[in-house]
Amino acid sequence: MQLKGFKKIEGIKELQTYNLPIPDTIFIFNFKKQEKEIDKFLKNKENITIRTDKRGNTDFCPHILRCPKSKAKPFIKKITAKGYATILQEYLPIRKNRILSGNILILKNHILMELMGVGPLTWLNREGRVEEQIKFRKDNLKEVEHLGKRLVRKKKLVNIVKMVKNIPPYKVLEFTLRLEGPFFWQIKEDKTAKLLES
Amino acid sequence: MQKIILKGIPASPGWIQGKVKVIKTLAEIQNLGTGEIVVTSFLTPDFIPFIRSNSRISGIITDKGGSTCHAAIIAREFKIPYIAAAIGATKKLKNNTIITMDSETGIIYAA
Repeated sequence: MQLKGFKKIEGIKELQTYNLPIPDTIFIFNFKKQEKEIDKFLKNKENITIRTDKRGNTDFCPHILRCPKSKAKPFIKKITAKGYATILQEYLPIRKNRILSGNILILKNHILMELMGVGPLTWLNREGRVEEQIKFRKDNLKEVEHLGKRLVRKKKLVNIVKMVKNIPPYKVLEFTLRLEGPFFWQIKEDKTAKLLES
Repeated sequence: MQKIILKGIPASPGWIQGKVKVIKTLAEIQNLGTGEIVVTSFLTPDFIPFIRSNSRISGIITDKGGSTCHAAIIAREFKIPYIAAAIGATKKLKNNTIITMDSETGIIYAA
């Protein structure tokens, strides 16, 4: 299957090239052909997360953050019939064991994090619920700016910065920090971020 | 020296002087005058088509948001100066007041 044009799927594949931790994930393009793969993925899981992607589509795509196993296959069947690819991911509870979620923007010499303590990432991206903004220098990982409340000890964020600091500039990574460590959801390009260089 | 009214996050750079228009609902944005600065709680996706198709907006200030939110990316794409997370902006800034926004630094001045 040619992945070109499936922005989210390309983004998840790109995360893997940087060896960043992602939740257990499979991509479904054809329900009938991949039904066994779906069954294998659903085995021993109570809930999964279903995201969707459409070639060339930049608009909001349907998703179910917490989909019970029993409802997963009918939804995947319906949505793939409409021309969407589905992204099946291990469900990571939004409250239990979660510390924060947010975006990491890679700039030329800095790394900017925008974070929130509760809620799905769409709250941050679409409703602007940023609770903490923190900017690090890339070369020495020193904090140069901070706004809002401290959601977690800085050291934990520095450890995440170390994981992403070699990624080329003008990319945004969406991630969640859980007690067991960080998980990355997506990486996308933001060419407009060049304007934020001071 | 200009008086600083508020400070927020520089989300889309630029320097602009204009009249404040506080927008509480999407319907109110239809009454926006040319060159006015939109002051609102946050630019939810409902506002985006209006930004894309309307050149009347000279600047944007929001109570919430940041540099990586969708609204910030759209503002940068359309080269509209934008200061996000200017907490209390919708209360402190009054309609028709002339202000200067420096969205390189995130500072809003009384004109």
